[in-house]
Amino acid sequence: MKKTVKEAVYLLLSACIIAVIINVASPVGIAWVGQWNPSEGVVGAKTKNDVDNPRIEINDIDIARQIHERGQTLFVDARTKDAYAEGHVKGAISLPVGEFDLKIDAFSDRYLLDQPIIVYCSGRSCEDGHRLSEKLIDFGYDKIRVMIDGFPGWQAKGFPIE
Amino acid sequence: MGFRDGKPKDSPLNNLVFQKITSDRRLELLARWILGVTFVYASFHKIIAPAAFAKIIYGYGLFPGVTVNLIAVVLPFVELISGLALMTGLYPRAASLIIMVLLLSFIAALSINLARGYEFNCGCFSSDDSNSAGSAGLTLARDFVLLFICIHVYRIKPDSGRILSVTNE
Repeated sequence: MKKTVKEAVYLLLSACIIAVIINVASPVGIAWVGQWNPSEGVVGAKTKNDVDNPRIEINDIDIARQIHERGQTLFVDARTKDAYAEGHVKGAISLPVGEFDLKIDAFSDRYLLDQPIIVYCSGRSCEDGHRLSEKLIDFGYDKIRVMIDGFPGWQAKGFPIE
Repeated sequence: MGFRDGKPKDSPLNNLVFQKITSDRRLELLARWILGVTFVYASFHKIIAPAAFAKIIYGYGLFPGVTVNLIAVVLPFVELISGLALMTGLYPRAASLIIMVLLLSFIAALSINLARGYEFNCGCFSSDDSNSAGSAGLTLARDFVLLFICIHVYRIKPDSGRILSVTNE
């Protein structure tokens, strides 16, 4: 038994050492401590190519509502088509992050690059809003923000949906 | 082991014992490989996408935030190394001990979340959303089967150093 435990420790130690080396060297490696507190923003492991950009986050959904009321900002739903069909922010258009390449041409024909846009997905455990915002920024859109509470946060507040 | 010591192989009693040991050794090898392949396979998607796996661990709602990433980084390699050790015969008994502890932890985590009706993705063999709470019962059953095999491997005390094959043949 003692010998077995000793061997188990060897195996565990080698697993730890290899894990650390690979995590440091790998392009998909993650931080040692992630952001897992929803009250601080979108949760995630923090990768080397992190898409989360706190500077463009709208943390307070009431602010998003005020912007919505002014009516100049386009709300873009990054979730799937089905999720959008089940309910979305009133006036929002669907641009699922997975169909970006297919749909961006039609999107850019309709909306100029200086169009103010608020992107959202399913809340703070969802990164699609950030992924879509990054794609839109790369495409040339420069007034992008992410409503991090997403559709569930909007709906819970009783704000207009359709 | 007696046969290596030069005992006669033609007596009926020895033949019986010989067959039993041979079949046990084959069973042992099969059990080690079932466990080994399962765990090596299960580690693969976690190693190539640690961020997605971290999110699954977070989704279990059981671990403090500071531990989530560490578990996501280390656990897949514990699975990989233990699985490889079982398959190759390097410290197979120790590997089965580690896998037993892992399986007991998985069973505990699944049971707690099933009991409290918590929706989560098991993340066992893939990081997508297909494996959700609906199949948690099945996952639990599978873990018990693996645990049973693992206890078998642990109890027959496989020797270290018998790489890839059985020796008593």
